[in-house]
Amino acid sequence: MYKQDDTIAAIVTASGEAGVSIVRISGPQAFFIADTVFKCKPPCPSKRPAHTFVYGHVMNDDQVIDEAILLVMKSPQSFTKEDVVEIQCHGGNMCAKLILRYILESGARLAEPGEFTKRAFLNGRIDLLQAEAVLDIIHAKSERASAAALEQLEGNLSAEFDILYEDLLRVSADIEATLDFTEQDLPKGIMKNLNKRLLSIRENLDQLISTWEEGHLLRDGAIIVISGKPNVGKSTLLNTLLGRQRAIVSSMPGTTRDTIEENLVIGGIPLRLVDTAGLRDSSCEIEKEGIDRTRAYIQKADMHIYMIDASKPIDHEIETHLKKMENEESLIVINKTDLCNKLDTNKLDNKLSIQMSLKKCQGLDELRSCILERLRKGGTLSSRPHAVISERHRNLLMESKKELDEAINMMNKDQEDLTAFVSSRLRSSIENIGLVTGKEYEDELLENIFSRFCIGK
Amino acid sequence: MINIYDVIVVGAGHAGYEASLAASRMGAKTALVTIERDAIGRMSCNPSIGGMAKSHIVCELDALGGEIARNTDYTGIQFRTLNTKKGPAVQAHRAQCDKSFFLERIQAVIACVENLDIIEALVSEIWIKNGTIRGVKTEDGEEILGKTLVIATGTFLRGLIHIGEKSFSGGRVDEKAAKKLSHSFLNLGFNLGRLKTGTPPRLHRDSIDFDRMVDQPGLNPPPFFSRSAKKDWEMFHVEQKLTPLKPWPPGSNQISCYLTHTTEKTHEIIEKNLKKSAMYAGKIEGIGVRYCPSIEDKIVKFRDKETHHVFVEPEGRDLVEIYPNGTSNSLPKDVQHEMIHSIPGLEHAEFLKPGYAIEYDYVDPTQLHHSLETKKIENLFLAGQINGTTGYEEAAGQGFVAGVNAVLKLRGEDPFSLNRTESYIGVLLDDLVTKGTDEPYRMFTSRAEHRLILRQDNARFRLVDYAKRIGIIKREEINDVENKIIQISEEVNRLKSIFCDGISEEKRLRRPGTFYKNLLNKKEGLNSEVITQVEINIKYQGYIDRERKNIIKAQKIEGQHIPNSINYDEIKGLRFEAREKLKKICPDNLGQASRISGVNPVDVSILSVWIKRIDSK
Ligand SMILES: Cc1cc2nc3c(=O)[nH]c(=O)nc-3n(C[C@H](O)[C@H](O)[C@H](O)COP(=O)(O)OP(=O)(O)OC[C@H]3O[C@@H](n4cnc5c(N)ncnc54)[C@H](O)[C@@H]3O)c2cc1C
Ligand SMILES: Nc1nc2c(ncn2[C@@H]2O[C@H](COP(=O)(O)OP(=O)(O)O)[C@@H](O)[C@H]2O)c(=O)[nH]1
Ligand SMILES: [Mg+2]
Repeated sequence: MYKQDDTIAAIVTASGEAGVSIVRISGPQAFFIADTVFKCKPPCPSKRPAHTFVYGHVMNDDQVIDEAILLVMKSPQSFTKEDVVEIQCHGGNMCAKLILRYILESGARLAEPGEFTKRAFLNGRIDLLQAEAVLDIIHAKSERASAAALEQLEGNLSAEFDILYEDLLRVSADIEATLDFTEQDLPKGIMKNLNKRLLSIRENLDQLISTWEEGHLLRDGAIIVISGKPNVGKSTLLNTLLGRQRAIVSSMPGTTRDTIEENLVIGGIPLRLVDTAGLRDSSCEIEKEGIDRTRAYIQKADMHIYMIDASKPIDHEIETHLKKMENEESLIVINKTDLCNKLDTNKLDNKLSIQMSLKKCQGLDELRSCILERLRKGGTLSSRPHAVISERHRNLLMESKKELDEAINMMNKDQEDLTAFVSSRLRSSIENIGLVTGKEYEDELLENIFSRFCIGK
Repeated sequence: MINIYDVIVVGAGHAGYEASLAASRMGAKTALVTIERDAIGRMSCNPSIGGMAKSHIVCELDALGGEIARNTDYTGIQFRTLNTKKGPAVQAHRAQCDKSFFLERIQAVIACVENLDIIEALVSEIWIKNGTIRGVKTEDGEEILGKTLVIATGTFLRGLIHIGEKSFSGGRVDEKAAKKLSHSFLNLGFNLGRLKTGTPPRLHRDSIDFDRMVDQPGLNPPPFFSRSAKKDWEMFHVEQKLTPLKPWPPGSNQISCYLTHTTEKTHEIIEKNLKKSAMYAGKIEGIGVRYCPSIEDKIVKFRDKETHHVFVEPEGRDLVEIYPNGTSNSLPKDVQHEMIHSIPGLEHAEFLKPGYAIEYDYVDPTQLHHSLETKKIENLFLAGQINGTTGYEEAAGQGFVAGVNAVLKLRGEDPFSLNRTESYIGVLLDDLVTKGTDEPYRMFTSRAEHRLILRQDNARFRLVDYAKRIGIIKREEINDVENKIIQISEEVNRLKSIFCDGISEEKRLRRPGTFYKNLLNKKEGLNSEVITQVEINIKYQGYIDRERKNIIKAQKIEGQHIPNSINYDEIKGLRFEAREKLKKICPDNLGQASRISGVNPVDVSILSVWIKRIDSK
């Protein structure tokens, strides 16, 4: 059998789908990674028999990322004929992405477009006829992906990558020049301050990586979580904003047991609206889970809308919630103003609030502009055309950073005989960025050296 | 009876002598055809061998059975090691040779070898009949018959020499160019390109004021490239018999080189006369080397640099010619004089030969296999500067590979092809045939992605299996390498197992500034070559292991062979550019395919699926 030595992972359900998302891991490390990221009743995933599934949690240290079901498939009885683990988590992109990212951090590599299929073919899982189709798939997917990548790389971001690449290359060229040419030919002090220069580059690298966090907002939408006691009108708000019937609306408290995500655009800004199960103390098991998840969502959200029913008095439960709310990222919406108003506005603590009646379609415009303003203030949407980096870019940058850190560590040892090793690390670091910008290390390096130093006879 | 050679080598530069020696030593009946018998092994430019990255090639050739390392060591007049502090991977030897003894010795070697005839002639045509090589035809209308052909004609193809406003035909100064041979290549459908290089003037030793320059003596003990000279050095005290093969005890009586620099005046003179420079007057179309800039280039492109080094190097022990390294130019003679005289110590320098630039044809090397056989014509091999490289070492490396492969081809064996993960020669071959070149190609350590492993100190150890297969190196030498490989690993293990004050000797050796000789439990009488390897393997173990892993990774994709029968037009999904490039280069494996410019990772994965498909049919 054709062996691949690395383990790949990706979200295999189409994005934006509600319901379940599936993250697939395939390759020799699949079980090892599963054991790392997935906690369940013993035995751990790798010790479980093939073709079984188990309920548990994807956990990063003590933090629950999501509850999920894990499927165990052992080589060669799997789609790729390799060891495969599939994690089914909650629908919507967010959970799946967080899980995937954790999996990648634990040693898998992001699968290329069509790579699972490709492995399936290479390992003889699918036949020759299907192979033709595979070629088409790989091709089509990559075309789309590269078109998207190009789009992303236009403007600011590409410039930022270029700067980073150039800065690193310059340091690398300085070091390489001392390796390939006698120092007599080179400017004096060329090896000075290299450490400082590398540290400052690393800072830029960090910053660029952090744009992934911001970037995903624009790509996937800023996440806005709607919470509040059951039956205050959360699902109705979601439906109204979407203009269609999506979440189940009912007058029985606690109907929305699962979170529901929807994409929409307000003022040109993509948003992901999350309608949660209500926030209240409940003894029902399933509902409890939903509520836990709501809390987790609120923590990750870019904005939080807390909804109150105007026809009900503000009780102790609401009051504690209001206290906990951060002013910057949250907005209080007082719904059902068409009913009798029992609200004591003093208890709102001067927090920003909007009064509305969804039934009468009042206050919607105000809500929309309020959402935009909040996002802007929170820095989520800066006014400049935004740098957006993709998951792939992020991974390459992380890889690049790892190598750079190694290089810096070696430099810190202050041993001149390690110079060649430092430069080898720098090279890997640069090559990873080159994979984003499509530049060839060697060509660029020599060009840089020869344009800056006068060397040779 | 008609005389048919197994191998005909055309051209007796560094590529040519290595090719013909390798072929004849492997037992093939070989002819070395060259324009001028006395010019065999001539060094066109500075008689210096080695230097960064080039030194690695020379050591590799010594490990495989080439001649250039020995020839350098036995005729060297100054030996140095460069980059001593930057770690073992980038350390390099450099030797200044005696120009006339270098060529005398190589000619003596050729005379000693059986099966090797020298034919003095100017080849004008590659002779092909019914699509197969018959041999070559010479300008005098003679025919030389051969089964395989190695062409190593250097800078001679339509060579055009420029000195200031004058230009004339020549392969090197005072030597004929090869005009018709270029047409022969064109007629056979090869793509040719044009490159340029240049050389400084030669000055008379006695007219130079060395007191005004910095003395650069050679190193003692001399850092040799070859095993053979190292062995001789070990018996230095024994009286050695001097022969043409050993003009003096190697490394003895070294001569200094000197260092001076250009001045403001030099720069003024050049600026003022730029229009008269052949290069700057736009007369030369060939592309020059970025890394061997002419002095005009240096001054125009680096205006803010106030002064440039000039290395003043003797061309021989008893020769009066001095090579002012760093002053290569294509200025008219009178300007050259004025310019040279503005350099400290050269105020009264007397000119023996002016500097000049030369333009010549080269064959686009992407038309070659890794074995250096052309893809178009079976049994035709090209080696040396004709393939777009520059430098003696690069030429010698290719010559050796082509010579060996010509013989293997006749024997019907698989070609000898070095991988870029295991040698600099491999990097050279792969770069040439995969990427081609549009400027004279020179080796740098940065071209070798695995240079931490490809060191000059371990060349013999890395390449021993190839040396065995080629079979030129003596059995006892091979045994020596194999024994040492065992000794090295035994000693490393021993040091791991001996503890002293709670830490192992291995750990102790790892400390910066600690060497084998400092160890309490060192093994007396251990061979110095073994000690070096033990030290490097232990001190840099972590780094080296990591590199090994990278190599293994790289070899996986290199190991995925692309069948010759592949038809790129049939493969759905390849982009147009990738398809065309793949058709042109015909890569041997997926690794090589991925290095072709214009072939992206998706193309490679499509290709890998397709190959699998062919395999499973
Ligand atoms: C002016 C000049 C400056 C140079 N400067 C540098 C430099 O700065 N740095 C550097 O690294 N390298 C330099 N070189 C390059 C270096 O000299 C060459 O790379 C190296 O010598 C190439 O070796 P070769 O064996 O390929 O060819 P060459 O050494 O050029 O030998 C070619 C041989 O082929 C023979 N020949 C040619 N045509 C025919 C024919 N038709 N029939 C029969 N025999 C033929 C010639 O007689 C000669 O023996 C320079 C070369 C020249 C000429
Ligand atoms: N009178 C009035 N009823 C509303 C308003 N908004 C929602 N409702 C009703 O309140 C009930 C609960 O709404 P729902 O959206 O399911 O609440 P959720 O539990 O917070 O998701 C439904 O019967 C809605 O029709 C409003 O502005 N005024
Ligand atoms: Mg609801």
